[in-house]
Amino acid sequence: MKNTEAEKNALQRMKPGAITIQGFLGTDTRSLADIIEADAEEFRRLKLDPEEAADGLERLRDAGQAGLGEPITVEGRYIVSTGDARGVLPCPYGDGVFHKNSVTVDDEQSGVELIYSDLSLHLLRAHGFCQGQGSPFRLAPEALARLLG
Amino acid sequence: MNPIILGPLVTAGIAASLALLISLIDRVVNDYGEVSIDINGGKRMYKVRGGSALLGTLAAEGIFVPSACGGRGSCGACKVRVLSDVGPHLPTEIPYLTPQEIEQNVRLSCQIKLKKDIQLEMPEELFSVKKFKSTVTSMKDLTYDIKEVLFRLDEPKDIDFIAGQYVQIVVPPYGSVKESVQRAYSMSSRPLDKNHVELLVRLVPGGIATTFVHQQLKEGGKVELVGAFGDFRVRDTPAAMVCVAGGSGMAPFKSMFYDMRENNSFPEKEIWYFFGARTTKDMFYLDELRQLQKEWSRFHFIPALSEPKPEENWKGETGLITDVLEKYIKEKIGKDEGLEGYLCGSPGMINACINVMTRNGMEESKVYYDKFA
Amino acid sequence: MPPLINPITLFFASIFTSNILLTNFLGMCSFISISKDWKSSFGLGMAVTVVLTITAAVSWLVLRFVLVPFGMEYLSFIIFIIVIAAVVQILEMVIDRASPALYLSLGIFLPLITVNCAILGAILFMQIRSYNFIQAITFGAGSGLGWWLAIMLLAAIRERTEKNPVPAGLKGPGITMITIGFMAMAFIGFSGMIAVQ
Repeated sequence: MKNTEAEKNALQRMKPGAITIQGFLGTDTRSLADIIEADAEEFRRLKLDPEEAADGLERLRDAGQAGLGEPITVEGRYIVSTGDARGVLPCPYGDGVFHKNSVTVDDEQSGVELIYSDLSLHLLRAHGFCQGQGSPFRLAPEALARLLG
Repeated sequence: MNPIILGPLVTAGIAASLALLISLIDRVVNDYGEVSIDINGGKRMYKVRGGSALLGTLAAEGIFVPSACGGRGSCGACKVRVLSDVGPHLPTEIPYLTPQEIEQNVRLSCQIKLKKDIQLEMPEELFSVKKFKSTVTSMKDLTYDIKEVLFRLDEPKDIDFIAGQYVQIVVPPYGSVKESVQRAYSMSSRPLDKNHVELLVRLVPGGIATTFVHQQLKEGGKVELVGAFGDFRVRDTPAAMVCVAGGSGMAPFKSMFYDMRENNSFPEKEIWYFFGARTTKDMFYLDELRQLQKEWSRFHFIPALSEPKPEENWKGETGLITDVLEKYIKEKIGKDEGLEGYLCGSPGMINACINVMTRNGMEESKVYYDKFA
Repeated sequence: MPPLINPITLFFASIFTSNILLTNFLGMCSFISISKDWKSSFGLGMAVTVVLTITAAVSWLVLRFVLVPFGMEYLSFIIFIIVIAAVVQILEMVIDRASPALYLSLGIFLPLITVNCAILGAILFMQIRSYNFIQAITFGAGSGLGWWLAIMLLAAIRERTEKNPVPAGLKGPGITMITIGFMAMAFIGFSGMIAVQ
């Protein structure tokens, strides 16, 4: 109870209106630990490493930046567009700040469409947090597997 | 005496005397008395009451250090260099500072408490930053996601700024947003119109401030602005300006061009302005800028669409703005007076443009940019 | 009738032979969670020592000059808690002024000293065992230092076990509980050397 003080603070900052307008939890009513545990389980079942998934998304982001904010086709199957805004977003866990951007990837092969930011990648990499169900920036393990598969 | 009365009396008596002790100690411990703030080696001196955070104390004295989160230690923007000893860096500051900044004792002014005399170093331009009460007098949709918002300054009534600088909007708590935040936007208005500030605001997915401007703010609405900040401005040389922007990156250039035309300042400078968009849906100010080009011989406006649809009947340049830029630097732009680059946009776009410019013989030190970072 | 135990003996006895943490198991929650980090452990241990010494003295005075004369020893629990809360409040202000870094690293645990059972426990022992004023202070200081010693030892051990290959299921709380068990057994070895009752 008491030793999850840091987690409680993080949870507060994940609520809508604290860091971003919709927050990071979407309509998910599970606890933070449950969300992370369920997604970790899902990653194991899919035999997908969250670290590698983050690398894959980062690669798509870098390739997409060549479009200078306009959608371009990457690797023949992904339509990637990147958007940037002025300023930085802090990580809800309080370990760093990240450039404000959004990367939209539309995979014509699997039909998966995802939107993510540098902060989403950090949350996935450092905290194993894919965001709650219903969050527009959620990176569901299953969708990642299909996107990168 | 009856224990029912005595018990509460004794308990209350002990609690009251302890409370008295606490408040006495509080007065001794938390009284920092009058402390002095010395900025830039005596350029500015203030005598203030100690005990509060530096950021708020400076704001009360009329010095606005840029801050986006309003002093909660979550944006890392309110950096100042402290020359005197204020103790080691706090765990709440370290994530926002680079090793060099820690070395130079750069601190987050919202996190350090003013306890004794302090010496600071900060850019002089911050001295002229003011907080303005303003009223929205017009809002226009430029594209499906960019709005042009005009603010009339009510108190104080005049702003002094250099074309290219930015202001921060103070976004009040609304809806699920519980605390006030500040966000920066480049001014697109002319510096000569001191009573107004115009901003171009693009809706960012999930953005607290842009959602506020796009959905909550209406004509007649009141907001506070803090400014002006930034060192993006026209350099006083005869070199030709090669300006590149996309989206809301238009703002500082609009201000610069109309200012130069009005004052006929930097008369030797040729101006080449490249503006990229995907389709005409993302393009704006086309007629105004073409009109400006007609009336003003040294201004050349090159809009480019990367994916024009046939039905749009686009007659201008097509292709990525970087390709168009490269073509023009190679073939059309006169280089007699040298070239200077001016860029405003995303880090990706700026890096790509710097590559094109340096590849074509422009010096990187003469490329100035306002990165959205 | 106060027991005729030498205050110096009592001081060392309360550190080693009847260590408030490892023989009475009081104040476990912050013991386990703060001992992750060596520096915070030191700070918290010192804070507990200071709070315990001061509250022992103040509580003794309140007990002797207020509660006993009015015949209201039955209120001692509530009064002691009020005293502890006040002392912690004062300490919080002093630490905030003197060392903001320590203040931040202790965070929520500083106010939580108020409900640290080691402190109320030691004061109640003091009342039950009818110590005199000097004994009360030495017992308070000794128990606090004992608490500090125990958390420093655990923090040091945890720093070592962090670097060692602990089976996955035992990582974190598991291995910590086992460590505490061993430490308690070692400290119980001292018991009987000095009688503090």
